[in-house]
This record gives sequence, C-alpha cells and structure tokens, in this order.
Amino acid sequence: MIRNYFKIAWRNFKKNKVYSFINIFGLALGLAVTMIIGLWIVDEFNYNSHFKNSDQIAQVMQNNTINGTIETNEGLPLALEFQLRENFDDVFELVVMSSRSDERYLSVGDKVFATNGRFMQIDGPELLELEMIEGSRKGLKDSNAILLSETTAKKLFGNLSAIGKSVVSNNEYPMMVTGVYKDISTNNSFSDLHFIMPFKHWMSTQWGWLENQDSNWTYNPFFIYVKLSKNADLAALNARIKNVKKDNRSGGDSFNSELFVFPMVKWYLHSNFENGQQVGGRIENIWLFGIIGWFVLILASINFMNLSTARSEKRALEVGIRKSIGSTRIQLIYQFLSESFLVVLFAFVIAIGLVIVSLPAFNSIAGKDVVFPWSNVLFWMISVIFIGVTALISGSYPALYLSSFKPIKVLKGTFRLGTFAAVPRKILVVAQFTVSIALIIGTLIVKNQIAYSKDRPVGIESAHLIQIPSSSKNFSGKYELIRNEFMASGAVTEMGWGTSPTTSVWNYASGYDWEGKPADFQENFALMAVSFDYINTVGMKIIEGRSFSRDFATDSNAVVLNKAAVEYMGIQNPIIGKYIRHSHPGPQQVPMQIVGVVEDVINESAYDPVSPQMYQFGRGTGGFYYLKLNSENSTSKNLIRIEKVFKDNFPNLPFRYDFVDEEYAQTFVAEERIASLAGVFTVLAIVISCLGLFGLAAFVAEQRTKEIGVRKVLGASVSNLWILLSKDFILLVAIALLIATPVAYYFMSEWIEKFSYRTEISAGLFFIAGLGVLLLTVITVSFQAIKAAMANPVKSLRTE
Amino acid sequence: MLLELNNIFKWVNQGGKRIFLLSDLNFNVEEGEFISIMGPSGSGKSTLLNVIGMLDGFQEGEYNFLNQPVHAMKDKERSKLYKEYIGFVFQAYHLIDELTVYENIETPLLYKNIKSSERKALVADMLDRFNIVGKKDLFPSQLSGGQQQLVGISRALITKPKLILADEPTGNLNSKQSEEIMQLFKELNQEGVTIIQATHSESNAAYGSRILHLLDGRRNPH
Repeated sequence: MIRNYFKIAWRNFKKNKVYSFINIFGLALGLAVTMIIGLWIVDEFNYNSHFKNSDQIAQVMQNNTINGTIETNEGLPLALEFQLRENFDDVFELVVMSSRSDERYLSVGDKVFATNGRFMQIDGPELLELEMIEGSRKGLKDSNAILLSETTAKKLFGNLSAIGKSVVSNNEYPMMVTGVYKDISTNNSFSDLHFIMPFKHWMSTQWGWLENQDSNWTYNPFFIYVKLSKNADLAALNARIKNVKKDNRSGGDSFNSELFVFPMVKWYLHSNFENGQQVGGRIENIWLFGIIGWFVLILASINFMNLSTARSEKRALEVGIRKSIGSTRIQLIYQFLSESFLVVLFAFVIAIGLVIVSLPAFNSIAGKDVVFPWSNVLFWMISVIFIGVTALISGSYPALYLSSFKPIKVLKGTFRLGTFAAVPRKILVVAQFTVSIALIIGTLIVKNQIAYSKDRPVGIESAHLIQIPSSSKNFSGKYELIRNEFMASGAVTEMGWGTSPTTSVWNYASGYDWEGKPADFQENFALMAVSFDYINTVGMKIIEGRSFSRDFATDSNAVVLNKAAVEYMGIQNPIIGKYIRHSHPGPQQVPMQIVGVVEDVINESAYDPVSPQMYQFGRGTGGFYYLKLNSENSTSKNLIRIEKVFKDNFPNLPFRYDFVDEEYAQTFVAEERIASLAGVFTVLAIVISCLGLFGLAAFVAEQRTKEIGVRKVLGASVSNLWILLSKDFILLVAIALLIATPVAYYFMSEWIEKFSYRTEISAGLFFIAGLGVLLLTVITVSFQAIKAAMANPVKSLRTE
Repeated sequence: MLLELNNIFKWVNQGGKRIFLLSDLNFNVEEGEFISIMGPSGSGKSTLLNVIGMLDGFQEGEYNFLNQPVHAMKDKERSKLYKEYIGFVFQAYHLIDELTVYENIETPLLYKNIKSSERKALVADMLDRFNIVGKKDLFPSQLSGGQQQLVGISRALITKPKLILADEPTGNLNSKQSEEIMQLFKELNQEGVTIIQATHSESNAAYGSRILHLLDGRRNPH
C-alpha cells in the first residue's frame, strides 16, 4: 500500500514539474537555512567544550564603581593570590595566576616569528588539561622553562624533538623547552595559546618593581583562573568572595571593588557586563538566528501547505474516486501524509546538498569552521525527528482537508472551492509576508546602523598610515635613530610613536587633580603616551594650543587633552597653560602642563562615546611606530624601503606591519558578520515567500481560466485582466506590510537603543522595504497573470 | 431480495423552497436482475443510483440492503457494506490518471488489504478476461474511451460485488463501443451479477430485464 502511495506521489511530482519544483526546492531551501543556522548555533554552544572540565574552570573578576557606574574587569591585584590560596582551598582545586594573551618573538638560530601565548603559574597546564606530546604538565617549574604548542614546536624545530632545546624569547631571554602540547582546538578561549612561560619570568621581566610586593592591592594587571571543586556552589562562593579585596586592602577601597567568579561555560556566550550585571553577549545572536531559522522553516512549510491545498481541487476527483472504490478516510490521510513525507525527505536530501555546497561560503562570512556532521548520531536523530515533524505539520492540513471531500460532490464535477476555502490560504500568505517584511526592515536597520557607525569621523587620517609593533625590548632607546633613517629613506613623510593602537585604549589612569575639579570626582582617563610627532603623523586635528614639539624643552612634562576630556574635567578658559597634578605625586611625577586640545579620536568603539583621553609625552618604548607613507611612491616601493631600514636595525626581528585603516575596519567585523548573515537569510526568506506566491498565482490563474476567457470575449483588455489577477495578492502583501511595520519598529528601536552612537530609524527605510516587497510581489504575480491574460480565449473556453 | 426502497424522499432547500429530488419512491430489486433507469435530465436517475450506492443520503424513507436497514446505519457501517457488495461504473470512467491500467484495477484490493500474491492473480484474471493484458502498463490517457470504460468495469468487478451501479456507462462512447460494453453487461448479468444502469438510450435500456421510468423524482408509470 505504502509503495502505491509513493508511486502516485512520484508520478504527481513528475506531472506537475513547476509546482513540484517550487514545493520541494522551497522546502529544501528552508531546511538548508535551518540546518546551517542549527550547525552554527551548535558550534557556538560548543565553544570551550574542548575542556572536559569546562564546568569547573572559572575566572575571578572584579566590579569597580567609578563615578557611580560599575565597571567589570578581568585584571586583579597580586595580593589576591595569597588570600585565594589560603582561605578558599576548599572550593578551588587549582589557582593559576596568568598574564593576558600576549605576543612574543620566539627564535631558534635564524628562525624567528611572533606568536601569542601566556605566562602562567605551574598549574596552568593542569587547569587547561593540556595533552602533552613531550614532557609533562609540570614543566613550568623552572623560571626559564617554556612549553610550546605542537604548531610552534614544528615551526621552530621541524620534526625533531624539542625537549631540552633552547628558545630565545624576544631576542633577549634564553628559555628551555620542557614540554610540547597538542594545539588546543580552535573553538575556545585559549585557542591562541602557542607558548606558556612561567609567571615568575613575566613578573621579573615586566613587573620587576612589583615582584617583592606580594601584598600590593593597587595594581591590577593579573588574571586569575581557578578550577572549582566538583559540585561547588557558585552562588555561595560568590557571596563569600565578594568582599575579599575590600576587606583586606589597607586604607580602604575607593572603588568599592567586589570580586566574583565567572564560570567558563559563560565566557563566550554571556560576556557582556553592564553596570556590574551580566547582560547577554553572543547569546543574543543565537536567539536572533534561532528565531530566523524557525521563521524560515515555517515560511517554507507554509508554502508547502498552501500549494498543497491549492492543488487539492485537482486532487479532489482522485479523492472521490478512491472513496467510491472503497478507500476510508484514514487511508486517504495516510496517502497524503506519506506524500508529504516523501516531499520532505526529498527536500531534506536536496537541503543536505545545499548545506554542503554552501558551507565554505557560510564559514567565510561567519568566520567559522563548521563541518557537516556526517558521523554525528545526534544530528541524524534530530534530522529524522525533524523530517517526521515537518512532514506531519506541513502535510496534516492538506491530508485532513482533502480526505474530508464528499465523493458525490467531486464526482459530479460540480465541485468548486468556495471563497471561504481560500481564507486560510490568504492568512498564511499574510503571515509569510509579515515575517519576510519584518526581516527585511530589521536587516536594513542593522546595516544602516553599521554604515552610520563606519561613517562616523574617526578623528585621524588613516590613509597611507602603517603601524609597526615596537613593544619588544629590542626597540628601546632606538626610536629617534630609526626615525631619522625612515625619514631619510624617502618612503615616509612623517613618523611618530604611541603606546597603543590609534583607536583603542590600553591604559586607564586616575589620581589626578586640577583647578576646578569637583569634590568627590572619581576621574578615569584613557591614557596614551606619544612621541613628539605622533599627533601630526596620524593626522589628529588640533583645536587649541599646539602639539608636542621639539622646540620646547619642557614638553616632556606636557599633556594634550581630547575635547571629551576638557568637557569631562570642567576646565574653564583659558585651558592652555593650566596644570594637571598627581594626587599622590612620586619623585618622577611632576605636574603636567596642558599644551593643546585635540579633536576627539574614537577610542572605545565606533558605537560608544569617546572617552576623555590624555596624551602624555613618551620616549618611544613599547607600543607602535606609526609611519605615514610617502604618497608620491607606490605603496609596495615604500614598504620595500621601510623593510630594508627595519632589517638593517633589527636583523633578528621579522618585519611586521599593519595598515591603520584596515585595523580600524577590523573592529566592525563582528557586527558586519551578523549583518551579512542576517542579510543572506532575509534574502532566502524572501525567495521562499516569493516561490510560494508564484505557485499560488499560477494556481489561481489556472483556476480562473474560464472566467478570464469569458471576460476576454466580453472585451476585457490584457491590462484589465492583469490587474484583476494581481490585485488580490497585492492587497495581501499590503496587509502584511501594515502588520510588519509596527512590529519591526518596536523590536528594532529596542535593539538600536543599546548603541550610544546610533542612527535614527527613518521612515524612509520602511518605505523602501515596503515598496521593494510590493514591487517584487507585482513581478512575481504578473508573470502568471499576464500569461493567463494573453491566452487565446477560444482555447481556454474549450478546455472546460 | 437484494434491496428495497420504501417511501424514499430526498430534497434540497433552495431559496427557502424545498426542491424534491426523490419523492415517495418505492423500488425493489431481486438478485440477478438487470434494471435500466430511464428518464429525462434532472429526473433523479443519478440521485437514485447514488442513494442505492450509499454515496448519498436521503431525508425520509427506508432502505434495506440484504435485509439490513441502511437508513439506520452509521457512515462506517454503510461504507463497509458498499465496499463489500457494490461496484461503481461512471460515465466519465473516473480512472486515476497517475496510475497504470494494472494499478487502477488493483487499487480496490489494496483498500481491502488483500495479499500481494492474491492481488496479482485476481488482476491477471481480470486483464485476461477483458483482453487488456497488453495494455496493463499504459496510463488512462493512452487508452480510447471504450478501453478506459473496460478498465473501469474491471475495477468495479475486481472485488466480486453482488451489485454493479452504472451511471450512463456509455454516455461518452461511440455506438460501436457502446454496444460492446452493453454486451459485456449482459454477460455479467447472466453470470449472476445484479446490474442497475441509468441511461438515456432506449437501445441500451433494452438490454435490461426491467425498466424503471423516472420523472421529477417519481416513478413515471406510463
């Protein structure tokens, strides 16, 4: 029997090729989109699943209240370690002090390259469950030890054993390899861990002056990772750990620091903090795409239901015959369900093909490494359930509906679906277009917001500007010398130096006084040290006063403020010449004179307001060299010359550089990814909806063949008929537009609220979306309408 | 007695008025009869056949089929009854376009859950009997009208019904095909199958053993 059902289903496909194509391909498209989104979501959830004990790994963090807003930081003071080890050994199996991920030059002989890694205490490898290829997890005992990832070891030593060999860090410190570990798979928070050196080594080389101050609570550059004991009660732990810093810090804590433990399972998806509270993160994107995935699938299922019921008039006769020769209603329901099962199965196979073909493109847009889960049992189980459920949902309506036909009615040939029969179909079309239009409007607004932020004046002239990292000790004291050589090479028109990238903040500082500072004002400045020529090189605009200058011997104690800082501090005119003093001045901390005010440069993100920033004078150690290329030469020629100068001065270092404008563009990548993905899915949703509309239009045109013939004989023109056949659909889409507009407006105004620097949601966008969809509807429907209207009436009347 | 209709009334309401399709109809059929129902268009021939075939209901009266009261039955029992004993032949053949000749004939057996081997034998017999073995893999659209009606009759006979209801079985056929079909009915009747046909044609009606004349839903005794 079931074979018979499949046979007749198959013959029906073949007979109605256009209809079958729309039905199957539309559903396949919907399934493919849902599958890809599903794979993406699974991949997002699997972030950090590499770690078997991910539910036990956590990071200690702190909330600081600064001027009434709570800021959440990863950095912690050195003195905390002792407290955690002494008083929390019942909940922390491991406590590991660590640096943030940092870059070092590693060299063996002539081989040198820069790679990221961390400086960690001895239990780090245990905490990260490193799989050792050589050596043991206890390799960080000696302060000159280094553990290498497999990739790093291969790069340095080829296939030879690395154990016991020497690796020089930053051309300065000879380290000895005590272990090689398997690369940590890509999808996790430690994927760029390509070396581990002892924490001790970092302390002595970077924080020498802090090294013997184990009780220092003031400096907070250290990360602390912990492994919780099994079944540790996180809420109880957080209550207990909350005041450890406040209570132990002598002299009180002006920032009301509160500690908390943030578990690894939340790091990736729940990484946003606002005012001390965890408020989402990537999980929002998961919600967004999860909803889009469901919508697309529902759209495709609606198509299937719609087209199947529309075709039911064609199948009505078959139902009548079958009933008269002995079929029961149940048997007919089975028949139509198995037919829909076959379609879904077919669509599923095509969908898998589509997914496989489009995964590389998807991965490049999404920045992922998703592979098709051929061997994943769970995937196939879900797929089977999915096929079953989709077949049931999309097939149930036609199955129940078709099987209810009275044989006598359809056999007589007088059977016609009344206007009422078309009502559910119309509702489905409206629902479909409501979703599609809402998606279009949403995507347009997201893209608009990103474009708006990208267009925001950055505050520098980043064309032809490159940055060369100069943080290794090899660079120290060489700035003026190499600057002269670069300038002399003719490839560079200006060169400057700064401690951080032009559009990021790497340091904040407080503890300043100035004339007119309000009482209890807890200042917090973005801080950057720059050379004489930095401001000119990067093309910042001076509003008042001047830049740092070699002509003024006192400029080593000068400071330049950005506009935001001037407003923030409330300094009265004249600003230039006033002093900013340290609240607790040390021997080297003399008052700084304000010599200039510059236009704001974006320093947090393009979506946020510019933080008050101080540009202090520095001598060129650490940070980046900034070189303005000579635009009279070709870029490649300039770079060759620059590389030569670089190599002459630093023969042991690889020449690395980045274009500043490209680096800035990188900051939009995450949002642009989301926008592109949303864009792609929206287009697919529209395609699916239009496929459905196309099918329905074809059906209606066919259904009204006789009417069209009669009207034509009575003198209707092609355009009369075209309007007659199209206007119903256009009306439906117009209704969808009316529903979608306020819904989309509501959700998108919520979404855009989270950006401080945001564009208006303009009526124009809604207008464009509406006009676009209406136009698309007219085109989709007209193809069928005009075809029907052009037909020879004699022919169409004869077929009746 | 195969079936008896007593005082059957069937009507529809149209514009607030009751239009009678069948009116006080009494009609008995013995097993082995070959009855022709005649009358002008709209006289109620098809309605009567549908009522007898249990595809359609009626408002008043009694209908006993093999001494079982059809008028008192539930839908399910009724359809069980007609599946068992009645076969239909239609003017427009009503074959399923997507099925081959073989499959069309086989379908009623599928609905009766008959085993595959038995089905094969039964269908093969039927094809053989009507000399359409060579056509078994063709689709209805590849056959002439007469051949399609042969398939329709085969399909009606495959479940070995006691009663064949034929509504204008030759209405779409030319006179030669028509004659062949009627000859076939006559043979079937001689083998014991009861046949009731609705027809316009005097010559077709002549094949039957008895003629029932209808006019406006009533027996026309002239």
